Formats: sequence, C-alpha cells, structure tokens
Amino acid sequence: MSTATLNLKPFRGASPLFVLWVGLLALLMVWGLVSGIEVLRQGLVVTGLSDRVPWGLWIALDLSAISLGAGAFIFSAVVYLLGLRRFQAFARVAVLVGFLGYSSAMLALFLDIGRPDRFWLPVVSPNIHSVLWEITMCVIFYFTVLAAEMAPVVLESRLFARWPNAAKVGESIHKATPVLAVFGLFLSLLHQSSLGATYGIVAARPLWYKPTLPVMFIVSAAAGGIATSILGTLIVSHLQGRQVIKREIIEQATIVAGGAMALYLYIKIWDWATTTFYSNVAARERGLAVLRLSTPYNQAFWFGEMLLGGLIPLVIFLWPRLRRNDYWLMLASGLAILGVVLLRWNVTISGLVVPLDWSPGEAFLFPRNSYTPTLPEIGASFGIVAYALMGFTLATRYLPIFAESHEH
Amino acid sequence: MTRTQDSPQPPEPQTVTRRHLLRLMGAAGFATTVALAAAFPEVRRKTARAAHSEPEGDSSRRWTMIIDLSKCIGCQYCVYACQAVNNVSDDMRWNVYLMERTRTGAIFHMTRPCLHCQEAPCADVCPTGATYQRGDGLVVIDYDKCIGCRYCMVACPYGVRSFNWEDRSRQEPANIYQPHYGSPEVERRPRGVVEKCTFCIHRLDRGLAAGLTPGVDRAATPACVNICPVRARIFGDRNDPNSEVAQIIATTPTFRLREDLGTEPNVFYIPAEGMVIT
Repeated sequence: MSTATLNLKPFRGASPLFVLWVGLLALLMVWGLVSGIEVLRQGLVVTGLSDRVPWGLWIALDLSAISLGAGAFIFSAVVYLLGLRRFQAFARVAVLVGFLGYSSAMLALFLDIGRPDRFWLPVVSPNIHSVLWEITMCVIFYFTVLAAEMAPVVLESRLFARWPNAAKVGESIHKATPVLAVFGLFLSLLHQSSLGATYGIVAARPLWYKPTLPVMFIVSAAAGGIATSILGTLIVSHLQGRQVIKREIIEQATIVAGGAMALYLYIKIWDWATTTFYSNVAARERGLAVLRLSTPYNQAFWFGEMLLGGLIPLVIFLWPRLRRNDYWLMLASGLAILGVVLLRWNVTISGLVVPLDWSPGEAFLFPRNSYTPTLPEIGASFGIVAYALMGFTLATRYLPIFAESHEH
Repeated sequence: MTRTQDSPQPPEPQTVTRRHLLRLMGAAGFATTVALAAAFPEVRRKTARAAHSEPEGDSSRRWTMIIDLSKCIGCQYCVYACQAVNNVSDDMRWNVYLMERTRTGAIFHMTRPCLHCQEAPCADVCPTGATYQRGDGLVVIDYDKCIGCRYCMVACPYGVRSFNWEDRSRQEPANIYQPHYGSPEVERRPRGVVEKCTFCIHRLDRGLAAGLTPGVDRAATPACVNICPVRARIFGDRNDPNSEVAQIIATTPTFRLREDLGTEPNVFYIPAEGMVIT
C-alpha cells in the first residue's frame, strides 16, 4: 500500500460559499455534540420536559425526520409497483434523504430515551401489543434496508476507486434493489402510519383519540417526503449549474406531491369538521378551549398547517405556470416541509399541554401544562439537523447520487 | 398490463418485471404472516417465562383498594407514609392529594394512588413489556427492562407515573431527596426509568409468603392503608367474598375514576357527601 496521502483534491476549487456553509454546519454539529454529551451526563433533567409534558422537541424532530425521509418509499412504490421507470432518476436522492432522515431520527431518540444504553431492549423483549414496539422494529429494519440501498452508491464512488472489488460488491447489492425497495415499502407503510397511531390510540387524551391521525401522518409524509427530494434536487441543480434530473420528471413528481397534499388537506379538513365543527364532545371542547385561551394553537393550525404548509404549496404544485418556475417550486417544497413539521409539533404539544381530567370533583381544574425547550434540547436539535444537511451536502457533491448510468 | 415504455429496452435476460415482483411480494407477505403467527405466542411465552421464572401473583386474587371520600379528613398521612416507605421525593409523589369541591360547593379530600387498572393502557403501550400486569391484577414495572421512552406516562389517563429525570441516589453527605421521616423499605430507582405506586408489592409478597393476610395483617398491608387515622382506606382481595373490600363493594355504592375509558381500575371510591356520580 502506498503512503496514505490525504487526497484533498475535491476541496480544491471549492467556492468560499461552500466552505462557509460546511463550516457553519460543522459548528452547529459541534454545538449538538456538546449538548448531547451534557444530556447523557446529567440526564434528561437538563431538558424542559416534565412528568406532565414528557415528550417535546426531540419527539417532534424525530417524527418530522422520519416523515421527510418518506420519499424513498414513495418513489419505490412508483417505480417498482406502478412501473413508472422514469422516476428511477429520483431513486438515489430519495434513498439518501431517507437514510439521513432515519439516522437523524435515531440520534434524536437515542438522546430522548431515559436509558440510551438499552435502546435495543425492544428487540429481545418484545411487547407485540405496543404500537411503539412495531415502530421500533420497522425503523430498525427499514434503516437496514436504506443502508443496503445506499451501500452501492458509496462503493462505486471515487472513495473506493482504489479497491476494484468494492464496486463489484456494490453491483451485486445493487441487483437486489427492487426486492429491498419493495420490502422497504411494506415497512414504511406500516410505521409511517403507526407514528400517527402512537397518538391516535391514547384514549386518555381527547384531542388525540381519533382514527384520522395515522392516515394524516402517512399522507402528509408522502407529500413532505417527495417535497424534500424535489427541494434537494433543485438546490443541487442550481449550485452545480446543471440539470441533475430532467425538468419534466421533476414536474411529474411535483404532481404526485400535489396529489398527496390534496388528499392530506381533504382528510384534514374533514377531520376538523367532524371532530370540532359538527360535533360536540365535552372533553374535546374543553381541551380546545384551553388551547384557544392560552396558546397560539389556532393560529398555528389555520395559518401554519392549513394555509402556509398546506394550501399554498398545493396550489403551486398543481398550477403548471407556477411549478415551471424553480423558485416557486422551491418555495412550495419548503412550505410543504414546514407543514409536515408543524403537524407533528402541534399534535405532540397540543395533546400534552391540555391537562388530564380524572378528578370527580367540580371546582378543581388542573392548570394548563407548559413546556419550553431548554438550550441543550435546542442545541442537540440543531446539531442533528446540521448532521443531515452536512450529509446531504457532502453526498451530493462527492457521491454519484445523480448518475445517469443506473437506469434499469 | 403494459403501461408505459419509457425507453426502448434492449433484450435483457434478467430484468425483474412487475409481475415477478408482485408474485414475490405476495409470497414474502404470506410467508412472513405465517411465520409471525406461528412464532409470536411461543416467543411471548418464552420471554415471559425468561423474565419471570414463575408466574407472578396468584391469579385467584384481585388486590383492591377502597378510598372512602366521605371519611377522609385530608391529613395527607397516606401521602407521607407512601413517600417514606417507598423512598419517594416530594416532586415525584406516587400518592397525591387534592382539595376538591362537590357540585354544591362542599369541600372533600381526594387522594389518588396508582389505580392498577385491569385493562391498563400503560402496560399495553410499553414497547419492552417493562410495565406488565401480574396475575393478581397488580400493574408493576420491571426497572431493568424500562428504556425510559415515557409512552406509558403519555398514555396513563390518571397521571400516576413519574420519571427519574436525574440521578437521585447519591449520598453526599446525605441524600436530600430521601424523606427525612420514616424508613425506606425499597431501593431508590435509577436515573432514566419510570416509577409509580406498587400497592407496596414488597409487603404484599413477603406477607403472603409468611402466611399473612394483606388488608388484615399490618405487615402485609400497603403503608397508606395502615397509617390512615380514620380508616378511609381499606385494602384486600376482592375475589374473597368474606373480605372487607368485597363486602363493602357489595353493599355500598362505589365508583371508579373515568369508568368511561374502560380501564377497569382496582381502586374504588366511596363518594363524599353531596357528590353526584354520573
């Protein structure tokens, strides 16, 4: 073996903007690392969580990261089940986003659970009745699938050019891609909706207890997952000054995202109508009144989730004049991502800040629970998001994510 | 079945067609379902056996607590006794007290331990089975299996669960979280696990092994029941028709918290005077 001279050629010729961006992400990752170590050392006491609001920012981040990684399963479905081979061009970027999303989610969960050293216990000590157990297993399996789908991309890259066998191994894994993709599709269909069911089955919390949550979670994940892949593709296209994916294919993907978004909004508006407008369930009314009087929930719901994160991206996705413009499309994708994240944050927090009501008396009403994320929580979250962005930045620059040669 | 041909395909001998895939998926799905269906009861039984070498809790018993709101004077001795015996600090109380009012405005005193629900939502949602129900109806936590995900706290309708947000076991020079009265009978729980009222399981099990009757013999009875100066708390085996709890439930109107949720708690309340139970 020759002496290991570090090949810095890729960084030569990098624009100052790129170096600045990577430097900023690296700084945020260091902040995240420091916060994470603080949490592991001191325990979750350094967070703003409490016995009344035991889930917070990290759970919302974890759910969002998983749903934004959903592009991988949507494109598998479209390519391998519907047979629309032209969407193959999106396959690798969607798998990359999925891989980064799921690994981010696992990082967030690792910090969030009280005993990170025992994160593997659900595997050997299952409670099959628990929806969280099903999610744990699906996420573990699906992350494995995504890693296997990523492996050929890494193995055939310049990094492994020195070992000719690596590409061969990659090629043989690559042959299994259709099977992996279909297996992953099963797993995704299961856990993307189960994440909503995590809330939907909790009978004690009237704002959560409804069958629409699993459906809204999976449909919004479909829209958000595609939007993330589109946004990433467009940004890379602009930075690299070339069309990495054909324009017409991006537009067709836009229509799929728009369709998913339309379905999501349709379910969402009927969910609101049946649970709030047309019906009158005492516990739910009380909960909504608490939110209305003491939190900006209504504004976040109508302006954030419905208008900014739903209706506006829907219109742009489905209006040919607008979606032909890259900047409108980027705006729409960004807003769709915002909508997905807001849904998860609003569901998690709204259900928990409304106090439980178990006392048989009349006078006493528990005060509204409150939650404010602390600095270590925010720092760790920034660090995790920076990790995902760093992974995307470096992978799209140095790995053959948008290679033309791998059309089946 | 041919839908779109994006590009003229050169004759490749080994292309996987959609039909192949669907067939493969069907076969895989079927095989997985059969395998899971066959394996799960067995896996469950095995893990249950491995975790608890003998079936825990005599399933002919149904440990039950009755709290008489018409007698309670609000002294909170039950709260303090629980903290002392179970080594619980003020902000994590397993047994809580609330001053409440009836519809007519009269004050009554509400206390709430874990209700040990027959259909416990916390045990259903636990991903590792760390929270489980014993044969005698007690809902207990295996602290070694708890990973601290806190889903049980989210799912419990009664807010009975507390989380160990920090390590409170240090003794330097004295543990400030340990109640300064009474003497703890159980170990403090480690950082990162969830805890809650156990109906003083350690007294129950040791007492039964020694041939005592919980609810009658003080050494086998939960601390909160023993200490109550007005006998507002009564404990016993509801399945034994001669027990005090069975007789009270048979003869006195009682209610349970949030019966609408179908959790079937094993804690019964006797209403305070002037209370309307719907």
